[in-house]
Amino acid sequence: MGLKSIAEKLDKYFGRLESGKAAKIKPSHVAKVIAKLHAKQNELLEELRDADKPSKKTRIESKLVTVAGQIERAEWLQEKISAEDASAAPSG
Amino acid sequence: MLKRLFLPSILLVLAFGFWASSDFQDIAAGVAIFLFGMLMLEDGFKLFSGGFLERALEKATGSISKSLGFGILATTIMQSSSLVSVITISFLSAGLISLLAGVGIIFGANIGTTTGAWLVAGFGLKVKISTYALPMLAVSIVLVFQKSKYLRGTGYVLAGLGFLFLGIHHMKEGFEAFKDQFDLTRFAMTGLAGLIVYTLVGAAATVVMQSSHATMVLIITALSAQQISYENALALAIGANIGTTITAIIGAFTSNFQGKRLALAHLIFNLVTAGAALVFISPIRDMVENISWLVGIPESDYALKLAVFHTVFNMLGVALMLPLIHKLIALLEHVIVQPAEDLSQPKYLSEAVDEFPQTIRVAMRQEVHHLYENAVELIAHGLNLHRDDLFASRDVAATVANSRRQIDFDIDERYELRIKTLYSAIVEFATRIGATDVPADVMEEIYSMRDIAERIVRAVKAVKHLRRNATRYTEYAQGDITELYNGLRTEIARILVEIRKLELADPEDRSSLWLDQERITVENNAKSTNGIIESLIRERKVNATMATSFLNDSNYAYSAMRELLSAARAYYIESEDAMIEVERILALEDDELGELIPDPVSDRLESHPQ
Repeated sequence: MGLKSIAEKLDKYFGRLESGKAAKIKPSHVAKVIAKLHAKQNELLEELRDADKPSKKTRIESKLVTVAGQIERAEWLQEKISAEDASAAPSG
Repeated sequence: MLKRLFLPSILLVLAFGFWASSDFQDIAAGVAIFLFGMLMLEDGFKLFSGGFLERALEKATGSISKSLGFGILATTIMQSSSLVSVITISFLSAGLISLLAGVGIIFGANIGTTTGAWLVAGFGLKVKISTYALPMLAVSIVLVFQKSKYLRGTGYVLAGLGFLFLGIHHMKEGFEAFKDQFDLTRFAMTGLAGLIVYTLVGAAATVVMQSSHATMVLIITALSAQQISYENALALAIGANIGTTITAIIGAFTSNFQGKRLALAHLIFNLVTAGAALVFISPIRDMVENISWLVGIPESDYALKLAVFHTVFNMLGVALMLPLIHKLIALLEHVIVQPAEDLSQPKYLSEAVDEFPQTIRVAMRQEVHHLYENAVELIAHGLNLHRDDLFASRDVAATVANSRRQIDFDIDERYELRIKTLYSAIVEFATRIGATDVPADVMEEIYSMRDIAERIVRAVKAVKHLRRNATRYTEYAQGDITELYNGLRTEIARILVEIRKLELADPEDRSSLWLDQERITVENNAKSTNGIIESLIRERKVNATMATSFLNDSNYAYSAMRELLSAARAYYIESEDAMIEVERILALEDDELGELIPDPVSDRLESHPQ
């Protein structure tokens, strides 16, 4: 999934947030999810180290690619949410 | 027989009373209004449940002293030990608190309930409380018609208190007038006979009214109007403590074995307390006199002395039973044995959990998990696999390939017994709860759980279809078709393993996003199935019959995998709303799955690359 698709979902989320139909995401919420994804990444790296069978290695590598993509998207989301948070904060 | 005679007897007594004395009507109406007030108080507090009450009860499981304190506090606030015991049974049935904590709460409730006697003796009889009752009722009705459930709750609580006060007022008036016509003290009995007879009368009166509170109020008002002797009032108060256990016993009828144990604990505690009070009545009376003198209660204020007595003997009961609490638990577990687990029966959705949002939510979640556990067993056995082997395996594909022997069982019969029965109970529960006044967010979760259950059932049905050919082509090696079917079995097994990992992970660490790779794999493998089959037919490695069977069966298998993944993603979704939003934004949509990185090698394709 590219960033474009997340961007669309994020726009929809902001729409729902404005109409009071969604809970407000804080950067800390995204950080929590990123930490969970990193936990999975570490677990997979450990599994990869222990794997002997080539097919198992390939499968784990494939999972690692997916998790890396998820982390990348989550970091992008965190940036957007942080920016939104900063612009919403009262100045001065 | 007794049950059938109960109602006519009560009506006869009432009719006789109305005929004999018009003031009896005042007393009876006072009791009725008082009980009506208690019902309203209960309804009011139930509207507040889902919040403070349940959170506090959940936390009251840390230690015996905490649960004891909670029992005292909750009963003092709600002025109903019956309501507290019913809530406790409900929480125990849903598995939210331990039996030890439940017993601690019941002990505390017995002390908390004595505050009622103080309220009536110290305040109710000395002040003209009907002056407060009427404005309270007038304000309450305005609140009851408000939209906000908390305002409505406040309205019911206020109305409840108003009716309690009004009830006390009528009882007081009734007894005052009554004493001019009849002198009930003529029936006063002294000595052991009086003690036993009045204890039984107190117990019977509480069973009829289902409220020791109402009985205590009746006793105190009658005592202050000098209609009964102080000695007999003491015995009546002891009897009320025995009679009050009836509410918990009735509540336990619809609960599971834990609820029944708690009701028995309540009965044992109150019987022991009453027994001790009867045996040591003289020293307790002396103690009451001393305490009354110490706190400055006038010699002739028997109503307040009765309140002191009620408190002393209940505290004595707690002091007596508290050191024996672990022995009591052992006795309860011995007498009411946990029934042998019947996997086909719902474990958590008893009617006892129906009334409180938190127990509804937890019980439903646990029952869906119970259904999932049964489903995993059926799916694994349906594919001739053993769960323990799978979950312990470091090489799932090898474990599957080595599991060739057919597991002999009737999958249709097992489905009816362990899946359909539970699913029906879940659907029935959701429908039943949907017809009540539970908060919208709780209802949303209940419906989500029902949908998860539906997905689990669909996954099992799909595996049912798959079983015959999966067994036929994998019992012994038949070349490529065996590898193809083993590939399907392996893919389903891997999903069960991944869901298991999610289940075992700390809720703080896990995320339903962990399953996205499995979703991608399923869609890619499903997409490549036709190509693989075509190539195998061209190479004459499978015949047309085998190919058709496999194509049909792979549809069932992928459908089972999709349903399992959807169910797990919904079940293990974050609990905090904002976190759910984050997961929703980051999760892959179904139509995006096929476009992503193709799964490079699956065991099914290893020997047949496209």
